[in-house]
Amino acid sequence: MAKTFQVDVVSPEATVWSGKAVIVIARTPEGELGIMADHEPLMATCATGPVEIEAESGERTTIGVHGGFIQVVNNQVTLITDRAEVAESHAQAKETAQRLAAEDAEADDEA
Amino acid sequence: MASAQLRDTRRRIKSVEATKKITRAMELIAASRIPRAQARVHGSKPYTEKLIEVIENVGAADSGGSHKLLERRDPSRVGLLIVSSDRGLAGAYSSTIIRLAETRAADLEKEGKDVLIYAIGKKALSYFRYRGYHIEQAYLGVTDTPGYGNARALGNRVMEDYAVERIDALEAFYTKFESAMTQVPTHQELLPITPPDLEDDEKAVRVSYGFEPSPEEILNRLLPTYVEAIIFNMLLEASASEHNARRRAMKAATDNAEELIKSLTVQANRARQAEITTAIAEIVGGAEALVES
Repeated sequence: MAKTFQVDVVSPEATVWSGKAVIVIARTPEGELGIMADHEPLMATCATGPVEIEAESGERTTIGVHGGFIQVVNNQVTLITDRAEVAESHAQAKETAQRLAAEDAEADDEA
Repeated sequence: MASAQLRDTRRRIKSVEATKKITRAMELIAASRIPRAQARVHGSKPYTEKLIEVIENVGAADSGGSHKLLERRDPSRVGLLIVSSDRGLAGAYSSTIIRLAETRAADLEKEGKDVLIYAIGKKALSYFRYRGYHIEQAYLGVTDTPGYGNARALGNRVMEDYAVERIDALEAFYTKFESAMTQVPTHQELLPITPPDLEDDEKAVRVSYGFEPSPEEILNRLLPTYVEAIIFNMLLEASASEHNARRRAMKAATDNAEELIKSLTVQANRARQAEITTAIAEIVGGAEALVES
């Protein structure tokens, strides 16, 4: 069985996902990034798009994210996002992320 | 036939009962909002905590480059961010925080500094406008259920003002929600950012991170996010406190109405009894007069 590590996905409103995972696939402005256990310490900005998490149980969760940071240290992955929502599929997560980004832009316009 | 006094008292009872119904309804509405507001305060905590953790780590790894939001300059123009309420009927909630802010404003003016007010909520706006303070910006309609968008708009505004040196420092006044029983009016410095404690070496293990992009750039984006998160947290705490204050004020009003109804009922009964006694006395008197004749 693959080694697992702790993953927390937090947004200002709530903790979106938290638990043990086998692999996390996130997007940074530079491209896709797959993180498994014992990844080197990393700090990166997050791009708008889907983030995939395969949990210890083998269950896959896809989350649409917009903005934020990802930190990897000591087998702890922390995703700090401005907006995040759990989606049902990869394609849907993409849409979710786009929608969140659009909502955000709207809120900025109002301000 | 009821006497004038009896009729009057009965009318008052009815009116107090109507008021009681209203205050009771407001109490229940406020009470129903507290758990949600409290849950949101709670839900936003992990985010802020993680953010602080990340900033500590980046700050430790950063080559010591300074950032505009961290720079301390001699303040001659100070912004005061005051979180009050849009509506009244919440007891001393707004006036407490406004008084705290005004004391500070007066102190600053005595030191010869300019005070700019960022008012959140109608109460702070009208209070400070009436007293001739310079209102830099007012935000209405956010205190009930503040969203992250509100915090971001506010954060962007104050950080921009700070960047162009329209303000040299920013202090916030809000009511911290400690528990359902205690809410504490709080005065907090927002800008320049006081870096989260870097002394805590045990926790801040100096790891050599891979950065993507550079540490400076990440810090550039982290710090504004941090300010937004703090403001968001403030708004949430204030909102929970406001609902709590309103519930308590309305509960007191309902209790008072109940008391008033009780004493008015006694008064009405007494008036009715007096009337009956008079009537009986009249009848007895009349009967006796008949017997005598």
